[in-house]
Amino acid sequence: MDDLTSEFDLVLQAFWLTIQLAALSGVVSVLLGTVLAAMRVGPVAPLRVAAATYVNVVRNTPLLIVFVFVFVAFPNLGLLVGTPFLLKGVLAVSFYTAPFVAEAIRAGINAVPLGQAEAARAIGLTFGQTMGSVILPQAFRAVVPPLASVLIAMTKNTSIAAVFGIVEATARMRYFTNNSPDDTIVFLVFAAGYIIIVELLSVGAWGLERRWRVAR
Amino acid sequence: MRHARFRVAAAALLLAGGLAACGDAGSDDAEGVDVEVAENAADEFEDGTRMKELAEDGKLVIGVKYDQPGIGFKGATDDAPAGFDPEIGKILAADLGIAPENITWKETISDNREPFLESGEVDLVIASYSITDERRQVVGQAGPYYVTGQQLLVGSDSDIDSIEDVKGTEVCSVTGSTSLENIEAEGARPRGFDTYSECVDQVLNGTVDAMTTDGAILLGYAAENPDRLKVVVEPFSEERYGVGYSLDEPEMCQWIVDTLTEAQESGDWDTAFEATLGKSGVETPEPPAMDECPAA
Amino acid sequence: MARVGRLWIVSGAMTTHRTTDDLVVLDHVDKWFGDLHVLKDVDLRIGRGEVVVVIGPSGSGKSTLCRAINRLEPIDKGTITLDGKPLPEEGKELAALRAEVGMVFQSFNLFAHKTILENVTLGPIKVRGEKKDVAEKRARELLDRVGVGHQAEKYPAQLSGGQQQRVAIARALAMEPKVMLFDEPTSALDPEMISEVLDVMVDLAKRGMTMVVVTHEMGFARTAGDRVVFMADGAIVEEAAPEQFFTNPQSDRAKDFLGKILQH
Repeated sequence: MDDLTSEFDLVLQAFWLTIQLAALSGVVSVLLGTVLAAMRVGPVAPLRVAAATYVNVVRNTPLLIVFVFVFVAFPNLGLLVGTPFLLKGVLAVSFYTAPFVAEAIRAGINAVPLGQAEAARAIGLTFGQTMGSVILPQAFRAVVPPLASVLIAMTKNTSIAAVFGIVEATARMRYFTNNSPDDTIVFLVFAAGYIIIVELLSVGAWGLERRWRVAR
Repeated sequence: MRHARFRVAAAALLLAGGLAACGDAGSDDAEGVDVEVAENAADEFEDGTRMKELAEDGKLVIGVKYDQPGIGFKGATDDAPAGFDPEIGKILAADLGIAPENITWKETISDNREPFLESGEVDLVIASYSITDERRQVVGQAGPYYVTGQQLLVGSDSDIDSIEDVKGTEVCSVTGSTSLENIEAEGARPRGFDTYSECVDQVLNGTVDAMTTDGAILLGYAAENPDRLKVVVEPFSEERYGVGYSLDEPEMCQWIVDTLTEAQESGDWDTAFEATLGKSGVETPEPPAMDECPAA
Repeated sequence: MARVGRLWIVSGAMTTHRTTDDLVVLDHVDKWFGDLHVLKDVDLRIGRGEVVVVIGPSGSGKSTLCRAINRLEPIDKGTITLDGKPLPEEGKELAALRAEVGMVFQSFNLFAHKTILENVTLGPIKVRGEKKDVAEKRARELLDRVGVGHQAEKYPAQLSGGQQQRVAIARALAMEPKVMLFDEPTSALDPEMISEVLDVMVDLAKRGMTMVVVTHEMGFARTAGDRVVFMADGAIVEEAAPEQFFTNPQSDRAKDFLGKILQH
């Protein structure tokens, strides 16, 4: 406990790294996931197959193994050796999360009535324009709650980075538990930190959902 | 040389008498210590001691690490763990009249060393087990049989050769370990990993500049890859490895200390070191002086 | 030129419009949904400025016919040409062609996340590359013309069905299409809203728009149609001028159909 209070800046630094990791991964996952979802519902068969394969392979791979690939296997092959650790963490988390995002968005796309796409095509929009201007904006609305769940899981998943060279919250927690005779308080403090971050995410999602519902 | 001679002697003995108590220690392990297994060892111990029981039963369970090359390591296809710690175990077993092949090895990880001793799951723990006051509250620790300290493992072409050089570099170790904390205090960027082997990979593939932990562990990895890795800098902490035993059996302490002292004097300790950690190319150090055992 | 067809009707002459200036031509068109043969060897020529009303029992293939003309439903055999050009495969070219064919759906299909004004300007801005202010100016004119100009800033869900369908017509007109397709435009409307939509369509017909209208509104067929196409079981059974069709149908299927709807 004394360690925690006297070195509380270390706790804050660690959570700041967790937030960076989660925020960057969130952006990359949503972008990558959106592209994957569009590929899956798109008219080009090879892209549909490629996206479906990626989603199925990566979604069925444990996150830890994705991390091992990015942090150990690739560098052993000479790839990503000079890449900063935070960026590798973002890559690993995003590679893993994107298929879940893609599936959530695909569900959202399927929830948009078919007539919306037909109307868009009927006024001459291309597939890309139909997706970008008509389908995805509506899909995202339907997708906010499941997407929030995916991003919350992702935020907690960033803790795997603790054993891959990134001193984020969980890694720092291990440092304190290693030194402290009273682990329980350390656990509670760090759990509270994660809960706060996740609650902020939930509140943000709730706000978006409300705003968009009113706008309809 | 000595090894070859012993094998001949052992074979002769077997042919001559076929004695069950006869050991051909180390014949499986091409380069280990050739311990001389005591005959009628049980007679040497007083009644009621744990040593007497063990010697009579002819069984000994020793907890060692399976994942630290040079110290305690067991590959997937190996029959028994190899390393400096198992060698120490063989020396102790031999004094009880127990041949190496009759030792039961049990993998211990850092977190279960005390529980294993307290529950009697193992008789001894010889697993890069640093002696600390906190640990001595709950278990017995005899020794030290080896003293090491935190050092750095770097690529053989690395420029790092003093602790000042680590400032601003990336140094890996096991997440949450004291070693990582120490190196962070020296101004390095800490890179925690789950296992030492992942950390060594990072050094080998050039992702990080160095790995840090007890020199003994680093020597083990350097011994595996002597052309590509080296251990550098003066130890900047002191870790004293002890043999763990149960506090319910305090008589074990003096026996451990006496047996290991004997091994230090006879040169068995040196042989054990040279066959394991010594393969990294470091000189064999002076064996450490051991602590006195607590009054019973 | 665009008035020609209607003048002939007024003069009482029977005509087929097939000689010159066909805008949409369907030639031996077949389509299956799995085993179901939904369009059977359909031949249809629609002249410039002509208003063709397609009627028939449900499941007769009339909606499919309508949707085939802008390739929302691809066909399996035969050809469809628009203004002399065959419909291209899915892709940019088809998108460009669709811009020339306005379509109004039974369920309106207004873009739910966009305002009324944005619904109308999306096509001109995205497809025709018009400047926003230009597109908005014309969108407001069109919305005024269909009587919903004061609703421009609202979202579709805030409008009644009749208003939404009029917006959908304005949205299609904003692309300045050569032909307008109406796929049962009043079937999803409450009865009191049907006439406000039909009025807009009649006005459009008067202005000379080429129209293909799938509907059950016989009144509209009589007042605004140049020709009635009667379909049953995926085939065109009978084509005639509205008056002639309604007073003197030739086929048994048409007689049967008219008999049923006139009872109600």
